[in-house]
Amino acid sequence: MKRSEKFRRANHEAKVTCFATLAVIVFWILAGFGLSGLDIDLFDTPIWVLGGCIGTWLFAVVVAFWLAEHVIQDVDLQEEDAARVRAAEQKGGSR
Amino acid sequence: MDFSHLVSLFPVFLFLLILLYISYRVQRTSEEARSKNFAKDYFIGGRTLGGFVLAMTTVATYSSVSTFVGGPGVAWQIGYGWLYMAIVQVVVVFLVMGVFGKKISLVARDIDAVTVIDILRARYKSDSLCNLAAIFIVAFFCATMVAQFVGAAKLFEAVTGYSYVTGLTLFGIIVIIYTTIGGFKGVAITDAICAIAMIVGMSILFYCMLDKAGGYGAIMNHIRTNDPAMLEPLSRGKMPISLYISQWLLVGVCTLALPQSIVRSISYKDTRSLRNAIIIGTVVIGAMTLIATWVGVLSKGILTNPSLAAYGGSVDNITPRTIVSVMSPFWAGVTIIGPIAATISTVSSLLLTSSSSIIKDIYMRALEKNGKTLSNKGIQKFSMAATILLGFGIYFIAIAPPSVIWKINMFAFGGLETAFFWVMIFGLFWHKANGTGALWAMFGGVVAYCTTMALHIRLFSLHQIVIGIGASLIFFFIGNAIGREPDDDVKKLFFPDKFGDD
Repeated sequence: MKRSEKFRRANHEAKVTCFATLAVIVFWILAGFGLSGLDIDLFDTPIWVLGGCIGTWLFAVVVAFWLAEHVIQDVDLQEEDAARVRAAEQKGGSR
Repeated sequence: MDFSHLVSLFPVFLFLLILLYISYRVQRTSEEARSKNFAKDYFIGGRTLGGFVLAMTTVATYSSVSTFVGGPGVAWQIGYGWLYMAIVQVVVVFLVMGVFGKKISLVARDIDAVTVIDILRARYKSDSLCNLAAIFIVAFFCATMVAQFVGAAKLFEAVTGYSYVTGLTLFGIIVIIYTTIGGFKGVAITDAICAIAMIVGMSILFYCMLDKAGGYGAIMNHIRTNDPAMLEPLSRGKMPISLYISQWLLVGVCTLALPQSIVRSISYKDTRSLRNAIIIGTVVIGAMTLIATWVGVLSKGILTNPSLAAYGGSVDNITPRTIVSVMSPFWAGVTIIGPIAATISTVSSLLLTSSSSIIKDIYMRALEKNGKTLSNKGIQKFSMAATILLGFGIYFIAIAPPSVIWKINMFAFGGLETAFFWVMIFGLFWHKANGTGALWAMFGGVVAYCTTMALHIRLFSLHQIVIGIGASLIFFFIGNAIGREPDDDVKKLFFPDKFGDD
């Protein structure tokens, strides 16, 4: 993969991560504040606590999993080390 | 000597010895790498971290004594609203790794970066910016480290009965030593063990608490009867929406900018490790936050007096008093390993990053400008000396402790976030961002933040982080308009997608 392609990909992944964070925020609002109007208890706990706290955590884990497995692409980082060495040799070791 | 005191001391002491031993082993196995390139091994572990250790060190460095002492204390006062707020931290790991992880790692390898400031220097080519960044890192980190030591020493005193200075000396000296000899890899591995200890410690406390109080239902009943506000998100005024918004920024989104988290993005060995760390880190940080803060809420069923004055008038006393109430001295000793681990994992990371700033970013750079370089042996001597001297400096300051931990931590926290937020984001994602903009943003933002914090000035009841980040943004654009465009080699290095491959 060319360097420019790796960087383009990294930009894309950064953007998707931002949207993923937004998704967690929205979930957090709906599962907590959203449920707080309902006067329901589950396991002796108000349902908004279960949704807003445990729910948000589980949702974040799902989001993290999705980011790690379906968004972030494996790239060869070792190539970068080699490229640097080559470039340094070309410029005569100066930086 | 009272035997019960000794019994509560033993688990912590054993734990600390294990960490010391691990650091010693890391030093032995790193001898070859250090003889070739000391800075690379000592400050960034040779960029060889795997997913599990990367995840745990990121979480452990981020989680501090406030997660386990201050935070649960406030939860005792406010209730589930505080847990609801604390859970925003679940985004912290995937956010920094997903936004910065890949790109920073690519650039870092091209320029052989060992610190965050190395990256800033390559991007902005401004010594003023880099020196300012180093000063802020060292200053804010020192404040944080003192606060950590204070919190842990107070907890230690309250639970074991040994004096504040005894506890401080015990774990303080040991963390300074193991950080100095272990370097980045030593810190990362000990962090991983600390993270496990944090979860185990709080889980034991959780269990003992429920056992003592007669079950979860019993405690919830007690809360429902005596302080029903704790069951509402706004806690009848104690937890306003403005505080939720403020915390989403302060301990959520803006944590992206913390240099101690970003530097870990430079340290992993391959993208497989990055991806694993994102998953593991999110699971762990959520679990840790949930357990520790839930313990705080439920401690209402143990410390039943509604007035904080009954417990010494400080939220920091809640966790230690809960521990002492529900556990035997031995188990109390085991449990406090958790918060102490949180402290020393944070201190070890901040201490090492601080010494890297002093030696690599300030001292070695100054030598370079005068045409001198340090030999590998020289780098080793100076780096280890800086670590141990700074560490002892922090230790001595912590002997005469300042006041509330939570506020101090947050002051430094917000200051660092303000300093680095736009500088890093624009640096990596906007090719027109230049050194002047970055310098203005860093300096102006921090001044605005610290001034408004000191004078208690707020905008719409929101935390001053809003003012800091907002001011920093405005200053960036002003400074950027004055400065010149980045050089072509910088553009090619950081934005090859726009300016062509070489």
